[in-house]
Amino acid sequence: MNPASLIPTADTLTAHWGWFHFLLMLTFPLHLFAMNAMLGTALSAFICHLRPAHPYRDLSHELAKALPFMVAFTINLGVAPLLFVNVLYGHLLYTSTVLMGLFWLAVVPLLIIAYYLAYVYDFSFEKLGNKAAYAVLAVLLLLMSVGFIFSNNMTMMISPASWLRWFATPGGTLLNLADPALLPRYLHMMTGSLAVGGLCVALYSSTVLKHNSAVAKAGTKLGMQLFTWLTVLQVLVGSWFLLTLPGEVMKRFMGNNMFSTGLLVTGILLAVATIISGYRHKVVATLLLTIPLVYVMAFMRDSVRGGYLAPYFDVTKVPANMQWSPLIFFLVTLVLGLVVIVWMLSKLPAFRKS
Amino acid sequence: MNYPVWYVPTFGGGLLIALIAIVHVFVSHFAVGGGLYLVMTEWKGIREQDQSIMAFVKKHTRFFLLLTMVFGGLTGVAIWFVISLIHPAATSLLIHTFVFGWAAEWVFFLVEIVALFIYFYTFGRMDDRTHQTIGWIYFGAAWMSLFLINGIIDFMLTPGAWLVSHDFWSGFFNPTFWPSLFFRSFMSFMLAGCYGFITATFLKDEQTRHKMIRYSGTWALISLALSVPSGWWYISVLPEKARGLVAGASPTISRAATVAAFSLAALTAVVIIMILLDPKKARIRMLTVVAMIAAMGYMGAFEWTREAARRPYVINEVMYSNGVLRQDVERINQEGFLKNAKWVQNKEVTQANQLEAGRELFLHQCFACHTVGGFNNDIIGRTKNMSYGAMQKYLATIHEKRYFMPPFVGNENELKSLAAYLAAGLHKKPLTEEVITVGGRGKSLFEDNCAPCHAAEVLKPKMAGWSKEKIRASLDKLPALNPAMPDYSAPVADKDAMTGYLHSLNNMGSAAAPPKEQGATLFDDNCAPCHSFDVLKPKVSGWSKAKIRTSLDKLSALNPGMPDFTGSSAEKDSLADYMVNQTGGAK
Repeated sequence: MNPASLIPTADTLTAHWGWFHFLLMLTFPLHLFAMNAMLGTALSAFICHLRPAHPYRDLSHELAKALPFMVAFTINLGVAPLLFVNVLYGHLLYTSTVLMGLFWLAVVPLLIIAYYLAYVYDFSFEKLGNKAAYAVLAVLLLLMSVGFIFSNNMTMMISPASWLRWFATPGGTLLNLADPALLPRYLHMMTGSLAVGGLCVALYSSTVLKHNSAVAKAGTKLGMQLFTWLTVLQVLVGSWFLLTLPGEVMKRFMGNNMFSTGLLVTGILLAVATIISGYRHKVVATLLLTIPLVYVMAFMRDSVRGGYLAPYFDVTKVPANMQWSPLIFFLVTLVLGLVVIVWMLSKLPAFRKS
Repeated sequence: MNYPVWYVPTFGGGLLIALIAIVHVFVSHFAVGGGLYLVMTEWKGIREQDQSIMAFVKKHTRFFLLLTMVFGGLTGVAIWFVISLIHPAATSLLIHTFVFGWAAEWVFFLVEIVALFIYFYTFGRMDDRTHQTIGWIYFGAAWMSLFLINGIIDFMLTPGAWLVSHDFWSGFFNPTFWPSLFFRSFMSFMLAGCYGFITATFLKDEQTRHKMIRYSGTWALISLALSVPSGWWYISVLPEKARGLVAGASPTISRAATVAAFSLAALTAVVIIMILLDPKKARIRMLTVVAMIAAMGYMGAFEWTREAARRPYVINEVMYSNGVLRQDVERINQEGFLKNAKWVQNKEVTQANQLEAGRELFLHQCFACHTVGGFNNDIIGRTKNMSYGAMQKYLATIHEKRYFMPPFVGNENELKSLAAYLAAGLHKKPLTEEVITVGGRGKSLFEDNCAPCHAAEVLKPKMAGWSKEKIRASLDKLPALNPAMPDYSAPVADKDAMTGYLHSLNNMGSAAAPPKEQGATLFDDNCAPCHSFDVLKPKVSGWSKAKIRTSLDKLSALNPGMPDFTGSSAEKDSLADYMVNQTGGAK
């Protein structure tokens, strides 16, 4: 059976595909930043528990207070890109979702447990004593397992050849473990996330926690160390990931596609620059380099998806029936929503959570 | 057919969606109504300069944050996940149609999160006016989420003008949009009152505890009262078919209506008790549990009814529950279902693959609602009384016989293949074309028409002691016996034959007895539709055969409502013989 014959027919779009692609590529990195900050906060807090010195204890307590916010915003900022992926690639995503239904549904209880544990870690930090380390470790592992499930779905949806297994195993218990690119891709994602998460901890420590200089110093140092060494490791993991990609996909980054190749070159240059600035503990400079780096990585990821799907599906060919008013309604809502959020935040600094 | 099916035979998708959805709406509506409750209660505390109320609001906000933001938010994601698993085609259609509605809802979700965090973490550390404004922003954003999701959910029940225009707004502001918005708003305020009980119960100061319980009870009671007329308004704007299902044609909705009625009564009673009495702590907790269960019953029954009322569609008039588009049915019936389905291995039915092709047809057309040996709508139980032949006849008219079932879609061979899978694949029954006729024509008619819902052995005790006349009369008015039963519009002879079979279930001798006398048949055909013999017997008791025979010539003179008997003289003699034999009158 030809796997292409299994691909469901895509539904008509209500706006030009470029709008959805733009919104997807705009919001996905925002989710990545929040997710990275969440994982980095959890990892840093756990490492603090391994270091009994005074500022690390206080630092872990401060990070405990921040963690539930990170979880909330990671989930919220994940909704928008997932929605736009549903629009552009829904017919592929739903298919792989059905194939791994049991694991996909498990995301929700895993997240609920992790989220409540994050609150337990925050609200009962003192009461937990030494057990707090286990609580935050559990949060970290639960969240990373959610990442693994997502990696499976995101790779299976672009691999129709793997879908044939459904005929023998229709119970939603399939994963994409046979894909050689799965593990390096997941590790690439996690390494990058934890690195950027370290940077976020450094930023948080050097700004929000600056009133306590010992804690701020410890947090900045720990965060920048995590960022630098994990980014060095990322060069190796990223290379491994690149080499496990199917030939045609890999060649996109090796000169066959100028845009993708340019992205890779830019990404490498930015990564090297961040390693240098990170090594020097320059938080703001590293941040300014990392923001475009994350966007570059998101576009590279998009190019990988395009490469995998090239034999099967071209998103630019999906028919569209333009309806302007709902789009305008959303854009106006977005602007007004952001204005209200900014207004609310403007009322905040003097009353920051103690 | 466009997508694979998540096949977990014992746990069908419908039940999973219902469970997650009911739990989610119970929390998400609280997230809306609770926002107004918090800000209004805080205002009460500010106005009355009552620190105990302010302490209550702060405590309740923490509970509210932990429940709505974590559990409410994630069960909302869970619904999205589970519908894309169970109904991928419908989810895709909804997402594509309303993507910017969902996107705007995401913005309000973001505003909600920011506002709630600020509201909670700045409690007592921000000036009252600004803090109240943040609270109002939270409520406004939460209610707008409800506003947006309400439009999309009701589109599934009443797509309205969208069916023609395919325009976003005509689908969004559909016929049930406004009544549903009012109903859901009142439900959310009612739930806010009920959840208020939970926090109030744990207050240590007795006076504050009683005050906040009465306050919460008043909230719940007023909202509950307002929810009833708006619910009625909702039902009144339903399309005719859906209203028929709600009125009793759907057994599942009938059960939900019973749950709703009991829950409403229990909730009203408990809330009034909470307001009027000063119950002790232990009693309050018990009553709070009862109130929460009743509120969930009321809300759950409503959601269940709304879901079931759009059957056999997942999107009314557009897409059947199994993902088949209504507009495609005619074409697929011509071309064949398997040929058009993507996720099947058998593209056409042959002698060799009949059962396997039937299994694939079952998976794509029936499994969306039926489990296999599972908890909900078990197909094995539902089909155990039907032979291969009966199954074919049933499938051919399944939608006509039971409106809430989608029609079988496919060609004749595919229909036989599905029937074969259900009869032989699931029940190991023989695949003989002819219906087994042991028990006569009545039995075969029973299998064709009644067995899909009623096993003979289940029906037997229910009809114990019924006379033939009663059975025969019942067959003329099945919907009056139970609104869920369709009319049995068959020729008189068929009804008589089925009457004989049904009567024989409790009268073993009569099944094997020789054909009944002509007079009995004549009575059944001509008199029984209006007169059961049990009722008639005392009226004609003691009448001679001659008197009965004479009366049969002038029935309309005896009673203007009775039509004259138009049978032959010999038939009148037979009928008179039969009646006098039954009454013991003089011959």
